[in-house]
Amino acid sequence: MANEKTIWEKLQAIDRRVLYTLLMVIATVSLFFKVNVPTKPGQPTKDLYRLLVDDEALPEGSTVILQSDWTQSTRGESAGQMEALLRILMRRNIKFALLSVADPQAPLVARNVIRAINLERKAKNQREYQVWEDYVNLGYFPNAEGTSNAIAANFKTAVAGRKETPPGSATPLDVFQSPVLSKVSKVEDVPVYINVTGSKTSNILIERLGGRVPFAALVTGVMGPETLNYYQSGQVKGVAIGLNGVAEMESLMEKGLVETGKPEVKSFAGETNYGRGMAYYLALHTCLVLMIVAVVVGNVAMVAARKKK
Amino acid sequence: MEAGWRHAVIPWLAQAPAAPALNMWNAPAGTPEIWMKVGIAMLAGFGLLAALIAAPTRLRRPISGAFIFLAGLFWVLVFLFPKPIDSQTPHEQRPRGFVQDVSFWLADAIPVVSNFSNILTAFILGLGVFSLVRIHLMRVAKKQNDWPFSVVLLVSMVAMATFGYWDWKTRLDLGGAKVDEAWPLAAYGKDLLFDGMLQVMEAAMFSLIAFFILSAAYRAFRIRSVEATILLCAALIAMLNLMGAVVVTWDGMIESFGKDNAFVMNFTLSSVAGFIRDNLQTPGIRAIDFGIGLGALAMGLRLWLSLERVGGN
Repeated sequence: MANEKTIWEKLQAIDRRVLYTLLMVIATVSLFFKVNVPTKPGQPTKDLYRLLVDDEALPEGSTVILQSDWTQSTRGESAGQMEALLRILMRRNIKFALLSVADPQAPLVARNVIRAINLERKAKNQREYQVWEDYVNLGYFPNAEGTSNAIAANFKTAVAGRKETPPGSATPLDVFQSPVLSKVSKVEDVPVYINVTGSKTSNILIERLGGRVPFAALVTGVMGPETLNYYQSGQVKGVAIGLNGVAEMESLMEKGLVETGKPEVKSFAGETNYGRGMAYYLALHTCLVLMIVAVVVGNVAMVAARKKK
Repeated sequence: MEAGWRHAVIPWLAQAPAAPALNMWNAPAGTPEIWMKVGIAMLAGFGLLAALIAAPTRLRRPISGAFIFLAGLFWVLVFLFPKPIDSQTPHEQRPRGFVQDVSFWLADAIPVVSNFSNILTAFILGLGVFSLVRIHLMRVAKKQNDWPFSVVLLVSMVAMATFGYWDWKTRLDLGGAKVDEAWPLAAYGKDLLFDGMLQVMEAAMFSLIAFFILSAAYRAFRIRSVEATILLCAALIAMLNLMGAVVVTWDGMIESFGKDNAFVMNFTLSSVAGFIRDNLQTPGIRAIDFGIGLGALAMGLRLWLSLERVGGN
């Protein structure tokens, strides 16, 4: 009886299974509610949006290089980023050359997202993005450092030999014959180099590209603080960080961007702007509240137990 | 004479833009010539490997050290040597001279040397597959502990590779759009295995991290010292700043109190979190990165110059 724990002691040592169950229930239930949670976009996301939507920074119809270095392990953050990015690019008729250096699965994962966004456009009677005409998939390159170096030195040689099959043709042709890359021979020929990543590949690109081309990054929450170093130094022109960054991007797509002393950036109101970011955003809120409550409970119980002693 | 030698050899080795599209290193894709060259290159590679294995033990380290030094020397030169302003200047318009020639040669050779490392990395992937198959086949053959799991692994690996290759080949032959439309067995199988199983399991496995983070945060974030209290406060502000609804509400409240008062506006959540991020968190990470960079440089130098002693030597 004398060894029985007080309520404060019990609250200091809640069984991990209780916490796991609470988290599972809260996260799952939150996903069932479709709520447009308000956001206040940060400057890195605003700069990214301006870079992608402003016609001066990225002229309509131009070609960008899109390096997709994420797989399902970071789906919660990267999938929403990729979807929001593709929606913007497709609405602005921006062509893109897709490549991956981080994981052999990454090109397939990216292709699935392109297909999903294409289906969304098809349902709205919008033009579907066509391989060869609008984008090419350069595939996987198994060495991030070496590939980034090669791309920086000579893009055409770095991806030489990669082929894509034009629609209606049975013969794969060199990607540089496609409308996407016909005017691109070096990395400086594209107005923006974009990296959606779940790892450190954005850092490698920044180091190797060395400011040859405006660089934009969509990174996970874990990589955010490190990437902000390069944003602060001006080496990255815009960053979306984690799920918060996705929700901010989607909010900007819906509402547009008005900043003092800068030209207004248009919105895409009336289109499908809120996607995976907003779908998961409520769950992010509730899970963070659970974490804060758990930390507060643990500390209050600790202080109360000490006072009692 | 010397310049003539340089102008003949340097672009040839580097496969510069002005060099002929086909030279002794390549051939049209799919021709017997390219397969013959691939075969010769593989034989030469295996021959070199065999020679290295046959070499006396005391010579192996200097030989591999020499290769490491040469490989590293290229990147050191790329980093230190003056760079051409535009590496894609047409060959006939390039300035002449030793420094210019070497700088253009280095720039032209980067994609070629990078391809070497890409190929080596691909071989490492192959080596990994070989090692995995060997270990698990042995386990199955000897019926060691948990051998049924090895069978599952091998069957999964073969099935994924088969359907993956089949789907890739079908897409290459028919075109991606037609495959998406017709959805043949190859695409269905790949979709079931890759999207339906592997990807979902990967997402599920990584989502477990959230559970561990919650449990760890609950147990570790205790105000036992001043430092822990500061850390906890910073973490709470960072977490609150990730919640758009909280930021909008709190900042709206502060703005309604003192929109014209610059001092009061310092207490918006985004300002406080921004201050912590820009003045404490990011510089801290920058300092750590500098430390890591210096450490990597020192380690790189030791490896490049074969000063690193490994394997109990």
